[in-house]
Amino acid sequence: MPNNNKTHQPDNEQESNSPLAFLKWISWPLVKLGKLMFGNMNQRKQMWYLLVGILAMSLFTGLIDWPKVPNWVPGTSFWNKFNVQLGLDLQGGSHLVYQADLSGIPPGEESSAVEGVRDVIERRVNFFGVSEPVVQTNKAGDNWRVIIELPGIKDVNEAIKLIGETPILEFKEQAPVPVQPIDTETDARERADSVLTDALKPKTDFAALAKEFSEDEGSREQGGDLGWFKAGVMVPEFEQAVMELKVDQISKTLVQTQFGFHIIKKTGERQIAEGEQEVTEYQASHILIKTPNVQVGENWQATGLSGKQLKRAQVQFDSSAGLPEVQLVFNDEGKDLFGEITARNVGQPVAIFLDGVPISVPTVQQAITGGEAVITGNFSLTEAKQLVQRLNAGALPVPIHLINQQVIDATLGKESVEKSLLAGIIGLLAVALFMIIYYRLPGFLSVLALSIYTLITFAIFKLWPITLTLPGIAGYILSIGMAVDANVLIFERLKEELRAGKPLPHAIEEGFKRAWTSIRDSNISSLITSIILIWFGSSLIKGFAITLSIGILISMFSAITITRTFLRLLATGKFNQLTFLFGVSKKKLAVQQKVL
Amino acid sequence: MISFIKHRYISYNFSLTLIIISIVSLSLWGLKLGIDFTGGSLLQVEFPSGRPSNQELQEVLSPLNFGNLLIQPSGDSDVMVRLRDLNEDEHQQLLASLKAKYSDISEKRFESVGPTLGAELWRKALWAIGVALFFIIIYIAWAFRKVTRPVASWKYGLTAVIALAHNTVITVGIFSVLGHFWGVEVDSLFVSALLTLLGFSVHDTIVVYDRTRENIFRHSVESFADTVNKSLNDTLVRSINTGLATLLVLAALYFFGGESIHFFALALIIGIAIGTYSSIFVASPLLVDWFKLSQRK
Repeated sequence: MPNNNKTHQPDNEQESNSPLAFLKWISWPLVKLGKLMFGNMNQRKQMWYLLVGILAMSLFTGLIDWPKVPNWVPGTSFWNKFNVQLGLDLQGGSHLVYQADLSGIPPGEESSAVEGVRDVIERRVNFFGVSEPVVQTNKAGDNWRVIIELPGIKDVNEAIKLIGETPILEFKEQAPVPVQPIDTETDARERADSVLTDALKPKTDFAALAKEFSEDEGSREQGGDLGWFKAGVMVPEFEQAVMELKVDQISKTLVQTQFGFHIIKKTGERQIAEGEQEVTEYQASHILIKTPNVQVGENWQATGLSGKQLKRAQVQFDSSAGLPEVQLVFNDEGKDLFGEITARNVGQPVAIFLDGVPISVPTVQQAITGGEAVITGNFSLTEAKQLVQRLNAGALPVPIHLINQQVIDATLGKESVEKSLLAGIIGLLAVALFMIIYYRLPGFLSVLALSIYTLITFAIFKLWPITLTLPGIAGYILSIGMAVDANVLIFERLKEELRAGKPLPHAIEEGFKRAWTSIRDSNISSLITSIILIWFGSSLIKGFAITLSIGILISMFSAITITRTFLRLLATGKFNQLTFLFGVSKKKLAVQQKVL
Repeated sequence: MISFIKHRYISYNFSLTLIIISIVSLSLWGLKLGIDFTGGSLLQVEFPSGRPSNQELQEVLSPLNFGNLLIQPSGDSDVMVRLRDLNEDEHQQLLASLKAKYSDISEKRFESVGPTLGAELWRKALWAIGVALFFIIIYIAWAFRKVTRPVASWKYGLTAVIALAHNTVITVGIFSVLGHFWGVEVDSLFVSALLTLLGFSVHDTIVVYDRTRENIFRHSVESFADTVNKSLNDTLVRSINTGLATLLVLAALYFFGGESIHFFALALIIGIAIGTYSSIFVASPLLVDWFKLSQRK
């Protein structure tokens, strides 16, 4: 057998140069530390310390994995600090992809325009009170996109409304000769009255009326339905009217607001939990007949100042009376424009229009050149907040449209988690059974190593943290199969060496050495495809590829460190004779040796 | 020792038959692409107080004029509706007409993909497969760079890729048949399954080649065919056991993992079974034939 050592030389060389040499580095500190501390100790003793290290690591990762560590364990708060991050498909939520229409944007500025869209959407989404929203931009070819993930939000209609298609924010000043709108207002009232008479007739289809007469484009197609809303969302007059109505009742008189005349039908009222509190929500439909001064451009003219130039709006409190007011901050271009507009309109109103509807008509006190303006007025805090929200919403620089949405209900997510957990446990048990039956003692050791492997991998998911998706869990479960492969390769080699009549300790070392090149080479090909998957992937596929890659790396580590340490510790005198524990019978051995 | 090499024509015929069936099925019926790739919508609704029949639902939904509706029952009390891609207003109309008739339903899932996005994803998937193949050939040629006799190192790489193409074509072919007869759709999860299989099947082949490489160094007296055959026998138990262990895990995923990864698991099961087979019966015998061909010249 002297030939053997010789032929093995090139393999060793290759090993140290290979890109996977870092796997050795991972285990290197453990080994090195052992050598440093117990320098003149024999190899066996080192093995024992390595075992202690492995057990300590299992304990550490096990505690991290444990969903709720009980109080008697020291450092409970530390262990319980780590949570599993579940993807939208597992915890429920909405995934929206918007395409930005950049046709109006000069080349080279696309990126900043899309970043602007992202910022605006981020602000809007934050008003929504979602726990951990994700808003990110993405470029695919010539397409610029904004991807929004809203965990826990199922009522995607609400979210989509909030994110909005393209509200346009404009600043307008009064035209030199204002048109007196009085006649037309009377006209609007007359029209509204006649619709109201129809609506109050018994058995009238309110939705049909709304479809026919309502001038609110947002709700007309839904039969006037405005959906569920909380107190403070609608203008006060409207809200007052809705609160006073009973469910299914129609307002007896016209309700006048800044938008025009409303005929309101209350369609629902419910209590919902919002955090700790119970909040009342209302649902109503309406028919809106707009009053003319609201109709765009009657007596207001554009100033060129729009949402593009607004940097942000926020609520602040006036220093003397503590009343809420709204602060506007413009960018450089907006600063100059706003300065000019205010300079020529001192004492005059300047209106802020959102989608052609004035949301605030402050009067200019003096020319404002600092790029910051304050809108004061008799705001309640809710009104001020609402105005800010609308202003921020209006600052969307380019139109966007929804090209992809995925909504997953939380119950479906929970089902998936339970099912895949069950599948994982059954899969692991089946593999464990198979390994023990086929490989006996080493099989049992490999099951221990596999269990430690699952502990470590899961701890990494929690510590990193990796967002677990359903395919991600599948990748994790699949990687158990890969981890088994490394062990199978080693054991088959070990058996071969034993059958060739080598003593156990020698057979173990040889078995590892020879199996390693196969383990390394074959896993690299799997890693290559995983990395391409990470590059290719949508978020779901990425989840799969990331868990699979981590699984592959850890499985190699576990095979060469954990399984090897276990086996080496067993390579003592007693076990030397018990080769049947390794799946090689004495009889066969004898026969084979005769043949050889 | 089993003489795999001697009887290789049996497996060649078997593989060839499968490949021909796959190619015929693919060219006749193609793949049934899911909404990920074609664009479209998918709605999953739960009917807690009993699921209506498909026909009844068709009647409720057809007045909306959303085009072709595919309605399938799912799970205990769920229904899946597939249709063209919807905007948010249309989505709400769809829900509203369902709720008008069945008040206690709840929406469990809704997906809508625009057609351009779908086409883009499909292009990207094909790219990913191409790039993966390229890197795998490079990698194998590099890993076997020291083996030049009696077969050049790039031939190992190429035969491994032929085996891999064999596995991929058959897996895709089986899904084409499944799609035609049982309506099984191919989505982006299927593409990830395919890419994973690329990795796996090379993984299997490499283990055998690795052994061949080693045996060439050790037993230089034997003929190349004998060396390969010995290597196949040496690694046979490993190939079967690893395949089995992985299949056990995948079977658990298939039977207990829930519907959304059902066909993902199935694709992997089919692919790994074929991959294990081809690493033994196709990849190495091809290497021997190539060697013999070059000897004859």
